[in-house]
Amino acid sequence: MDAPAIAVSDLRKSYGGKPAVDGLTLTVPRGCFYGFLGPNGAGKSTTIRMLTGLIPPDSGSIEILGLRLPEQEIDIKRRIGLVPDESLLFDRLTGAEFLEFVGRMYGLPRGVAAERARELLELFELEENRKLIGEYSKGMRKRTAMAAALIHNPDLFLMDEPFEGVDAVGARLMKDILLDQVRRGATIFLTSHVLEVVERLCDRVAIIHEGRIVVEGAMADLRAGAETLEDVFVRVVGAERAYARLDWL
Amino acid sequence: MIRAILRAQWLSLRVFHRSAGRRGAIFSLVLALAWYAFWGAVAVAIYGVTSEPELAPMVAHWLGRGLLLIFLYWQLAPLLTASFGASLDLRKLLIYPVPRGSLFTVEVLLRITAAGEMLLVLAGGVLGLFRNPVFGGWAAAPRLVGASLLFLASNLLLAAGLRNLIERVLEHRRVREVLVLGMVILVALPRLLISMGVRPEGMERLLGPAEGAWWPWAAASAVLAGRDAGANLAVLAGWTAAAWLFGRWQFARSLRFDAQAARASAAGTRPRAGGLAERLYRLPSVLLPDPLGAIVEKELRSLSRTPRFRTVFIMGFTFGLVVWLPLIVGRSGGRNPVVAEHFLVVVSLYAFAMLGQVSYWNALGFDRSAAQVWFAMPVPISRALAGKNLAAALFILVEVAAVTAACLALRVPIPPLRILEAFLVTPVAALYLLSVGNLSSVHFPKPIEPERASQGGGANRMQGLLFLVYPLALLPIALAYLARYGLDSEWAFYLVLAFAAALGAAVYWVAMESACNTAQARREMILAELSRTAGPVMTQ
Repeated sequence: MDAPAIAVSDLRKSYGGKPAVDGLTLTVPRGCFYGFLGPNGAGKSTTIRMLTGLIPPDSGSIEILGLRLPEQEIDIKRRIGLVPDESLLFDRLTGAEFLEFVGRMYGLPRGVAAERARELLELFELEENRKLIGEYSKGMRKRTAMAAALIHNPDLFLMDEPFEGVDAVGARLMKDILLDQVRRGATIFLTSHVLEVVERLCDRVAIIHEGRIVVEGAMADLRAGAETLEDVFVRVVGAERAYARLDWL
Repeated sequence: MIRAILRAQWLSLRVFHRSAGRRGAIFSLVLALAWYAFWGAVAVAIYGVTSEPELAPMVAHWLGRGLLLIFLYWQLAPLLTASFGASLDLRKLLIYPVPRGSLFTVEVLLRITAAGEMLLVLAGGVLGLFRNPVFGGWAAAPRLVGASLLFLASNLLLAAGLRNLIERVLEHRRVREVLVLGMVILVALPRLLISMGVRPEGMERLLGPAEGAWWPWAAASAVLAGRDAGANLAVLAGWTAAAWLFGRWQFARSLRFDAQAARASAAGTRPRAGGLAERLYRLPSVLLPDPLGAIVEKELRSLSRTPRFRTVFIMGFTFGLVVWLPLIVGRSGGRNPVVAEHFLVVVSLYAFAMLGQVSYWNALGFDRSAAQVWFAMPVPISRALAGKNLAAALFILVEVAAVTAACLALRVPIPPLRILEAFLVTPVAALYLLSVGNLSSVHFPKPIEPERASQGGGANRMQGLLFLVYPLALLPIALAYLARYGLDSEWAFYLVLAFAAALGAAVYWVAMESACNTAQARREMILAELSRTAGPVMTQ
C-alpha cells in the first residue's frame, strides 16, 4: 500500500514564544483533494512552508510521499508542485523564460522545458511572451505560478490561496486542471478563504485554529444536516460579531 | 502629520530590528558608526585648522574651495554613486490627506541622509570660525550662523529638486543609461579639459570663490570671511529662494508623475528569439549542465534587465575611467607612474568593486521574496550561489573588456601584456571577493528594489567602507605585484599570482561551504529579511 501523501505528527513552530503551529497531526491520503482551512493567522501558511522545507519545524515529524523531511528534502522537492501565498516569480523574466527555468530546475531537458512552457502559456492564456512578469496583473501572476507548479507533472500540489486575484474564467480553468490532476492520481493540499470553492472541490477538509486542528474529516460527513461549510467554519472557529461593540461605526 | 510619518517609519524599523534583521541591523549600525567616526575625525581636523588665528589667511583663501567641495559632494556624489539617500515613498502616502507642503518639508529634511557627513564637515569648519577672532569670533555669530544655515538650506533644497528630477527621468527606460553617461561626462569634463591643456585659471574664474563671484559657495565663503557680508548674504538668500522654487516645482511634478506609465513606455523591447542578445543569454546553457546553466542564464537575463544593475554596470567603466584617467594624462609632473603603469588593472578592479553592491555582496537582494525559489526547488543552495557567482564573473569580464575598449578608444597607451594581466588579475581578485560576497549575502541579506536606479542612505556608507575592505581581500594580489617589483621579475609576479589563484580557489570553496551551511540554518531569517517591506520612507 502506498504511503500517505502527507503524514505529519505533532508538528510545532513558535515565533517569539507564541505558537504558530501547536502539535499538528495530520494524514492526507494519496489522490485526495484536501482543503486546509482556518482564519487569518491560524497557521496555514506556516504549515505549508514547513511542508515545503522553507522553514524548519521546532519539533515533530514530516513525511511526504513516504519520504522523510529534512533527510530526503531534495527528493521530496522534485515531486512537489508549489503555489505559495507570496510571489515566487522572478519579475525580470518573461513568463516563457520563467517556466522554462523552473522546468530545468526540476531536471527537465531544456527542449522539453521550453516546449512545456510554451504549451502551459497557451493553456493559461499567458501568451504575451514579451512581457516581463513584473508587468503582469495579480491574476496573471497566479496563473504563471500555477503553470510553474504543473511543468514537472508533480505527485503532490501544495497550494496557498491559488485562486486569490484570479478572474472567474481563470479560476474555472485552474479548478478544471486541478480536478484532472486528482483524477490522474495526484494529491492536492489547498488552503483557501473561499469556502464555496473548497466545498465544491475538496473530498476532505481540516480546519486549523490557533495552530491546532479543530475539525478534520470527509466533506460529506462535515456537512451532515443543513449546515454549510461556512456554518461549520464559523461555529468551530468561534467568530463573533465584534464590530457590534463599535457604536460609532 | 510629519510626526505620524516619522513615527510610522520608526515603528517599521523597530519591528525589523526586533525580528529577522537583528544581525543585519547591528552590522549596519557598526558601518554607520565607522563611517561617521571617520567623517567626525575629518570635521575635528577642519575645526583645528579654521580655529587657528595664525592660519586665518590660508583659511580665507581655501574657504570657498572647501564650500565648493561640500556643494559638489552633496549634489553630485549621490548621482555618481547612484545613492540618493532616504526618500518618501509617495505611493504609500499620497492616498492620505497630508498637505503637500508637509511632505515637501520631510523630503527636504531627508536630503540630509544623502550626505550627512557633509553636515559634520560644515559644522566643524563653522565652529572653528566661531573660535577664530580673525573671522569675528563669537561676536560674528549671527553672520556665521546665517551664512551657514542659508548655505545648508540651499544645498538641501537643490538636492531635493535634483533627486526628484533625476528619479523621474531614470524611470524612463530609454534615457536612463544616456543620463548616467551624461552625468559622468559632466563631472569628467573639467578635469579632462585641464588634462588636455585648458588653463585652470579660466575655470577657476568661472567657478572659484574670487570676489564678486555669484555662486552660492563663493557668496557663503565671503560672508563667513566677513567680506561684504550684506551683499553676499543677499546673494545667498537669492540662491536659497531659487533652490526652494526649483525643489517645490520638481516635487510637485513628482507627485503627478505616473511611474508605471513611464516604465511601460518601453515595454516590448525584449530580445527576439534567435536574436543576438538571446543567443548570448543562451550561451552559458551550451557550456554548463543544468541546473547551473539554467541559473546562470536566468541571472544574465534578470540582471541585464534590472535598471539599478545596468546603471552601476555603466558607471563601473565610465566613472572608473573618469576617476583614474587624469592621473595618467595629467599636466606635466601630474602623471602618476604607478597608476599609469597599471591603469587597466586599477580601473578593472574599481569597476569590479562598483559591481559588488548590485551583485555579489548581496546576491539574493534583487530576488527579494522570490528568493524562496532557491530553497523550494530540488537544487542545493550551493548551486544557486555558484550560478550567481558565475553570472557576476561573466559581467566582470564584460566590464574589463569594456574598460579595455574605452582605453583603446581614448588612445591610452596600454601594452598587450597589460591587457592580458587585467584579464588574469581580475578573475583571481574575483575568487576572494566572491568568497566574502557569498558570506555577506547569507549573513546580511537585504531586499533591493530593482526598478529604482538609485539606493538609499546606507548604500554609500556601505560602498565607502567596502573600499576599505578591498585592500585586505586583495592582499594576495598585492603580494604578486610586490614580488614583481621587489624581485624585478615578471616570472615572480605570475608565479605568486598563480599561488594567489590556488589559494583563492581554496578560500572560495571554504567560504561556499560556510555560506551554504549558514543559508540552511538561517533560511527562515533570510526569507523574512528579503520579503521585508519598507515604511513610508524608502531607505534601501
